[in-house]
Amino acid sequence: MPRSTLPLLRALLLVAAPLVTALPGARGDEPPGADLPGRPEEIVFAPLDFEVPDAKQFRRTLPDGTPVYVAPTHEFPLVTVSITFKGGASLDPADVPGLAGATASLVREGGTASASPAEFDEALDFLATRIGVQSNDAFTTASMNCLTANLDESLKLFVEMLREPALDEGRLRTSKARLMESLKQRNDDAASIMSREWRRLLWGPDHFESREPTGASVAAMSTERMRELHRRIYHPGNMIVAVSGDFEEKPMLEKLAAAFAGWKKGPAVPDPEAPTAELAPGIYHVPKDIPQGKVAIGMRSIRRDDPDAIPLDILNDILGGSGFTSRIMQQVRSNEGLAYSAGSAVVPKVWYPGQFRASFESKNATVALATKIILDLVEGVRDEPVSYEELETAKAAAIETFPRQFESKPAMLRVFVSDEWTDRPADYWKTYRDKVSAVTREDLQRVAKKHLDPEKMAILVVGDWDAIAAGDLEGRAKMTQFFGGKVTHLPVRDPVTLEPLPEGAGAPKPADKPAAPAGQGAPKKPVPAGK
Amino acid sequence: MGGCYNARHRSDTLPPRGFAMFRPSRRAAAPLLAALLVLGLAGTLPGQQVAVEEFTLPNGMQFLLVPRTDQPNVVSAGWVAKVGSVNERPGITGISHFFEHMMFKGTDTIGTRDPERDATLRVEQRRVREQITNLVWTEQYDRFLRGEIDDPWDPANDSDRLRQLRTRLDGLIRTQQGRGDAGAEGATIVKDEFDQVYTKAGGSGMNAFTSYDLTFYFITVPSNKLELWAWMESDRLHDSVFREFYSERDVVHEERRLRTDSTPTGRFQEQFDSMFWASCGYSWPVIGWPSDLNSYTEEQAQDYWNVYYRPGNLVGIVVGDFDPARAKADITRYFSRLDAGTRRPPPVVTLEVEQLAEQRMNAEGDFPPAVEIRYHTVPAGHVDSYPLDMLAEILNERTGRLYTGMVEGRGIAAGAQATSDTRKYAGLFAIEAQARGEATPAQLEEAWYEELAKLQAEEVPERELRKVKNRVAAGNYRRLESNMSLMVQLAVAEATLDWSEINEGPRKYEAVTAADIRRVANAYFAPTNRSVATYLRRAAAPAGGPELPAAPAGGQ
Repeated sequence: MPRSTLPLLRALLLVAAPLVTALPGARGDEPPGADLPGRPEEIVFAPLDFEVPDAKQFRRTLPDGTPVYVAPTHEFPLVTVSITFKGGASLDPADVPGLAGATASLVREGGTASASPAEFDEALDFLATRIGVQSNDAFTTASMNCLTANLDESLKLFVEMLREPALDEGRLRTSKARLMESLKQRNDDAASIMSREWRRLLWGPDHFESREPTGASVAAMSTERMRELHRRIYHPGNMIVAVSGDFEEKPMLEKLAAAFAGWKKGPAVPDPEAPTAELAPGIYHVPKDIPQGKVAIGMRSIRRDDPDAIPLDILNDILGGSGFTSRIMQQVRSNEGLAYSAGSAVVPKVWYPGQFRASFESKNATVALATKIILDLVEGVRDEPVSYEELETAKAAAIETFPRQFESKPAMLRVFVSDEWTDRPADYWKTYRDKVSAVTREDLQRVAKKHLDPEKMAILVVGDWDAIAAGDLEGRAKMTQFFGGKVTHLPVRDPVTLEPLPEGAGAPKPADKPAAPAGQGAPKKPVPAGK
Repeated sequence: MGGCYNARHRSDTLPPRGFAMFRPSRRAAAPLLAALLVLGLAGTLPGQQVAVEEFTLPNGMQFLLVPRTDQPNVVSAGWVAKVGSVNERPGITGISHFFEHMMFKGTDTIGTRDPERDATLRVEQRRVREQITNLVWTEQYDRFLRGEIDDPWDPANDSDRLRQLRTRLDGLIRTQQGRGDAGAEGATIVKDEFDQVYTKAGGSGMNAFTSYDLTFYFITVPSNKLELWAWMESDRLHDSVFREFYSERDVVHEERRLRTDSTPTGRFQEQFDSMFWASCGYSWPVIGWPSDLNSYTEEQAQDYWNVYYRPGNLVGIVVGDFDPARAKADITRYFSRLDAGTRRPPPVVTLEVEQLAEQRMNAEGDFPPAVEIRYHTVPAGHVDSYPLDMLAEILNERTGRLYTGMVEGRGIAAGAQATSDTRKYAGLFAIEAQARGEATPAQLEEAWYEELAKLQAEEVPERELRKVKNRVAAGNYRRLESNMSLMVQLAVAEATLDWSEINEGPRKYEAVTAADIRRVANAYFAPTNRSVATYLRRAAAPAGGPELPAAPAGGQ
């Protein structure tokens, strides 16, 4: 609204809402700041030119062919060296899920050829150098951050650890004991049950994305198995290096070449295998006694390089990917107050189709209502084009936040390394904003119809089914209205073996209840365990 | 445990422990306390001084500007209100956090297409809600106290009169949101416009969090949009409207269920906090007790606004790639519209009483065997806070005494951590350890007492202290690398002590001696000053076992 009407509105409000106008600053004849733009849209912004950095300008090659991305910056006396190897859980042997992750831990913790684990840790800590080694699904990353003054000594320790880890037996025992303790906790939090069972539904139980260590596989983790995996992953034929921070390029490249000298290359690591299982649509439920149901709704989706990837991402921002500026958050949380977090994501995968997933958590009675609202919203983007305003906001947001991923030097290098490992087309980022600008409402409706279909989705509910199925007090929704009311009740799994427990087991046993203090009512809606 | 405003897929928020937020962050809570601990600076290293330009507007609002160009094109900007749950009292616990949620609901300009009719609807809502609240406080509380109903706030226990009022209130809310009989055309609200304006302009990570001592509102914007930040933030500070005051509490109830009621240890941790703090304002959770959450009135919120959200109690912070002269001009132009107000925040007067005897809590549930041992210590900035923080460092990390002594040496722990948590008005020191194999919480507790006895009897060797000081000094650089991290630290330091602690703290940590550490190990760790929580896994049972303990009354 034009600013000039505001003083008048304030005068009206004085009558209509004395409480509101009691705000300090809202009284007096001349409202302070009357000379300011009346609406944010009236502000004129200086242009902000952002040129997409070109990966080639940061890429160097060591004499042995190892790619190194360099981005010096001298604001702080710190250097970060990060090495990304291809292969992670994707290389886990079928009988030892979790081996790549456990190997990464032991490479870090298990000492080196010349230093015992304790000596190695002590040396690093005294230098104030940080080293981490982690495996995810498809990659293993080792990174070292040190003070510039300690670069030489830190780099020596870092590379020796990667080349010749001692994989100490004592540290292996500690590491396995720790892992066993974490297995026992797998059913404690509903969020971890949700994450595990969703992956099993989505990828099938035998794909590496859903396989998890068990007591037996932890027992099978040996230094021999780890050495074998170490030889496959940690070698110069399988790594890309990124260096950022306080250094000069030429000496850094010389130091790296010297540190890697004589390190033998192994064979290339294959791409991760695609899952073979299909997601079976329907409602699934895993029991957990909590006062809130946790829900995931989704289906398999696209590959990263799918031509629909950008429009689908924009569509998802409008549907549920952009917080309060998206429909799911506005309806489920802001209007209805049914959830604290509610939203959706499209997660494309490089080597096989990824997933679309909406998720929320809500008190038991309103799980069905929130589910219905989300499915209606999915139908909505299929049935009707989004509004012009929604499209413009989503496109502007994607374009304006685009520079953010190149914001810091380490972040920029992460993009370059990932792109090289996954063969992202060289002009992808250069043309990204143009591709976003070109997206139309028709594009969004087309990709919605093609890639989002409630009938092909699974709904996974973790929580107290009897309380959830009944629906809300006003009868606005019930779980029986989805998929003809057919529900697959998934078993509670033994947290250590992951084998299904007999029905009714796994629920907590009676605890000695303290006598209820005066005024404490009976437990609300007592629920017999073991459903 | 505490709270925050927001969830979005591109979040770069780092909420500290003991917080509540406007929206959920996809990233796990980062250990801000640890970051605060690493304020040390080794004498062998050059000191990193953060160059802060500080100025104060005539209305009393203070600003801290940190221009830097290493990360081009972006600016992180925020403002801290020096108010948190410690400023509350029984009856309004959690209102600081609830207020934080209200701050995203807009003004007479943002968030409505018809401020006049919107105000009318709000006044009607308020009248109906006052009747509901008064009926619950009288009739429903009476019925609850006599044992006739299990929860005075549960709509399932409503009388006919209450049901009618609730339907009426719901209708008013629906009309305002454009979901009533008049349909979308009748809406006075422009839904979440505050978020949309920033989103369209390339803002990211917009959020806020509330902790015991402060509330912080922040965002990252493109460098050319700093004026937009000044517009938006000065608008909501000038003209905030408590829109959706009654429906938003459902969201906070869900936040409470998510963070506290549905997590394995949430309610036990809450109970332990309440047991540990006897008299001071840290004894209730940041997110508030459920009964209070239902009871806030607009008068109370208005009162909070008039006292704590006036410029003299606020500090703006801008970190990143911007022209300081231009920023100062824009900030002055926009934030000068804030009225200084006439009331000043009252002092927090209730001090923690001395603990006279050991306290224990034995919990059973779906969690691993573990122990937490806590001691009352000192507030932030206290002369002993520096050696206490260094003591925690001696214990932590892979070469620290807890790992080498309990995880490796005795082989009884899967993990163990020490925390020195010094707040504005009081502090605590905590040891937490999780059992390994067949080890018991009692063994973990005993092992800590043995480690403690060594620290009390002998000074930490020089090399060990030097090692920790080196780590702390390097951490002093690391924590400054990200704009957001630096901004949050300035906010916390300013709200707790003074922002200059960022630059002065390191010298104080470097000056800590082995004798200081031994002295505090003897001064604060007496058995009578400790509270111990033991956690045991409840055994799995055959079918037919009962449910978890009932949620406390006052939920929904």
